[in-house]
Amino acid sequence: MTTPSAYTLADFVTTVRDELGLPLADEQVAADFDDLPEWDSLHLLKLVTAVEQATGHPVPVGRVLEARSLKEIYDLAVPA
Amino acid sequence: MTDNPQVYLASVGTELPGEAVTNADLARALGANEEWIEVFIGTRTRHFARDLTTGEVRWSLADLCARAAAEAVRASELDLADIEFVVLGTATPDTLMPATVNHVADQLGLDQVPTFQLQSGCAGAVQALSLGRTLIASGEYRSGLVVGGDVCSKHLDLQRDLTKAAPSDLVNFVLFGDGAGAAVLTDEPSGAGVAVRHVLNRFTGLGREPGQVIEWFGLADRHDDRQALTEDYKAIEEQVPVMAVEILWELLGDLDWSADELDYLLPPQLSGRMTRKIAEQLDVPGATEISCVAETGNNGNALPFLQIERLLEKMTAGQKALAVAVESSKWIKAGFALERI
Repeated sequence: MTTPSAYTLADFVTTVRDELGLPLADEQVAADFDDLPEWDSLHLLKLVTAVEQATGHPVPVGRVLEARSLKEIYDLAVPA
Repeated sequence: MTDNPQVYLASVGTELPGEAVTNADLARALGANEEWIEVFIGTRTRHFARDLTTGEVRWSLADLCARAAAEAVRASELDLADIEFVVLGTATPDTLMPATVNHVADQLGLDQVPTFQLQSGCAGAVQALSLGRTLIASGEYRSGLVVGGDVCSKHLDLQRDLTKAAPSDLVNFVLFGDGAGAAVLTDEPSGAGVAVRHVLNRFTGLGREPGQVIEWFGLADRHDDRQALTEDYKAIEEQVPVMAVEILWELLGDLDWSADELDYLLPPQLSGRMTRKIAEQLDVPGATEISCVAETGNNGNALPFLQIERLLEKMTAGQKALAVAVESSKWIKAGFALERI
């Protein structure tokens, strides 16, 4: 099983691209969702499931819903 | 505004198929996160006419509508022989022909009555109410049935591989449900004795992209790889609350009612979470919110009847209620006002 620490931000960006089909540039990971026109809150359905499978840990869904960028979601899913 | 002659709602009946399906059930079936459904969608249970694990159709739309309609007639002070027309609003008819409303009439044991079916999304129940009210107000009919129902599970196929399904596809499984509702309308107060003070039904979609599309497939295109049910969730999230507020104030203006006079508010029923947000934005603190979607799922044209059923349990003489509905397919504003005599 993958350990949480092994799941890097780069892995997360790959998950976003592969699972959601979002053409995310590396520098866009910290962009506010308002500056990410392709982003749709519905994407969280697949993203949460994919990240949980990758890390083996539950994602705090309530707090993720308040996140304003993908980086914030990563930080919540994979605490430092 | 006073609309004459007055039309009354005598009773309602509703039907939810089978047992409630929980988020845990759905999360297991979809491989999705249960908490996400709970928090993001805010809908706890729904009912399906189709057994999602076997695909078996347990009830047709006509079955559900006929049960709801029969219950509405029983709950009124009328006999079946008094029913002079049937109007059905639905987005998911059993067949394109015959229109499902005719099977409903048949199951009820009605014959020799005019029937109407309105092809419509979330505004269909209000459109049925609007047409039923107009028919009675014309003086040609004294009482009739208005019915709304949907079987959304027709588009929910758990047998196919959902691992590659788009989020907009997956969300349909957790948003929707099946059900039906009906009301008996009369030209004089009877039964519940609720006056239908006003009905709003207006297309506002000129030049606007649809927020929701349900495809239908025939022999020539049934193998197309099109998603049967698509929603522009982002557009719906942005526009429905704005439209709901506009509808509220338009209805109040038409009725010459103030917001303070409202005892109950029936907001649009999209999902538990979106309905909560919309109710906050409607901001009528003095009115009791009447919602059902968190327990019933979004079962389209059944929703207003399920709300009225809950309303009638509480509403006392002289109290006023306002319902707001938005059909995001091609952006229809809808709503109605009720007052208990």
